[in-house]
Amino acid sequence: MGLAELLGTYGQNYLDGLLATWSMSAVSFVFVMVLAVLVTVARVSPVAPLRGLGELYVQVFRNIPGVALLILVAYALPQLRVVLPWRTCVIVTVVLLGSAFGSENFMSGINTIGVGQIEAARSIGLTFTQILRHIVIPQALRTTVLPMTNLLIAVMLSTALGSQVPMTPQELTGVVSYVNTRATGGILAFLISALGYALTAIAISFLGNRLDKRVRVLR
Amino acid sequence: MAQESTADKNVPVIELRHVDKHYGDLHVLRDVSLSVARGEVLVVIGPSGSGKSTMCRTINRLETIDSGEILIEGEPLPQEGRELARMRSELGMVFQQFNLFAHKTILENVTLGPREVLGQSKEEAEKYAMELLERVGVASQAHKVPAQLSGGQQQRAAIARSLAMRPKAMMFDEPTSALDPEMINEVLDVMVELARGGMTMVVVTHEMNFARRVADRVVFMADGQIVEEGTPDEFFDHPKTQRARDFLDSIKGH
Repeated sequence: MGLAELLGTYGQNYLDGLLATWSMSAVSFVFVMVLAVLVTVARVSPVAPLRGLGELYVQVFRNIPGVALLILVAYALPQLRVVLPWRTCVIVTVVLLGSAFGSENFMSGINTIGVGQIEAARSIGLTFTQILRHIVIPQALRTTVLPMTNLLIAVMLSTALGSQVPMTPQELTGVVSYVNTRATGGILAFLISALGYALTAIAISFLGNRLDKRVRVLR
Repeated sequence: MAQESTADKNVPVIELRHVDKHYGDLHVLRDVSLSVARGEVLVVIGPSGSGKSTMCRTINRLETIDSGEILIEGEPLPQEGRELARMRSELGMVFQQFNLFAHKTILENVTLGPREVLGQSKEEAEKYAMELLERVGVASQAHKVPAQLSGGQQQRAAIARSLAMRPKAMMFDEPTSALDPEMINEVLDVMVELARGGMTMVVVTHEMNFARRVADRVVFMADGQIVEEGTPDEFFDHPKTQRARDFLDSIKGH
């Protein structure tokens, strides 16, 4: 099958796949960021057990293969009577993985904030939560735009895990499997999806660079 | 004690009683006792490693102590939590490295404390902040971020940030040590003004001329101990101990 024929027959599937990849990436990334902030707050909190829990979270989810985690979420959780829709299973998996990496990015962002600023904040009477809210989190966010841009790309690519479960609509990689089971698209069927990923990644890094220049903290 | 504290003029604003502190094997503060009266300007000098910065930082508990007592207007310094935060808000602190909040404008740096800790409205906080920035001479920089200012301007802004909390006392931890020589005086001038205005001040510094001109009392520290204290004239012209004489000789060249 040639390119024109593939797109003629399955164009709509690819388009739906691209939209599914985009929407899953967006939803996942929002939760990734929220969870990454929460986990990082736990890791820097004055409460030792909370710090331990935060570290454990990162160590577990940073070091587990995506497919293995997906299998646990999709096929082990139902044993505990937690049955999630397929799409949600994929998003949960991606969020757990992504937030562990996101928290590592945040930690490096926090490490760029001098201890002096924290002492100054304490000296004017700010409490731990006020310091987090006004000093630590804003600066950590603004100094980690570029690593978070990379993370968003990684999150998008991880949504390809969706090809391993029977989701509808399928995302870009799932579409390839679908196409190749009914036609002989071969490598070309993959390349169409690859182009979708690549163009999205380029757009993300372009926007990430622009955002970084706007919000970067001058030192 | 607590109820009489704020009104009684005889209670020292800051009092350290037999304070000891170790860093591992290093005994950084040895039985330090000290009191600072209302409106007094106390200058702490001594060789590096003498514990003078550490002593200054224990006063608002940026450094914890092993034993002894620290009283603010007769009340023991709280150990942690909201009580400690409240007490800190009443004591200004100026650092060697300025430590302005890098992502906020100068105006936001000065208004953050009043808005978050004192609950002032934005307008109220900004009005007073601009007055203070005017006073320290950096009002025209109010909408820039710290990295766009010179060291001297940053330090003056940092002083304004502390003053915005209307503190009972101000601590200065080597406020001019990180500055280029030509910027030292602009910061010292602000501090002289403050002293003349009756602010209670503890100043850790190497600026001997400032100590001579402004201090009510000079405390000389070495090896974590207060070795000698007295008026600037007594201390600089007639030091009582050999340690102080050696120290003063060693800096005479400057």
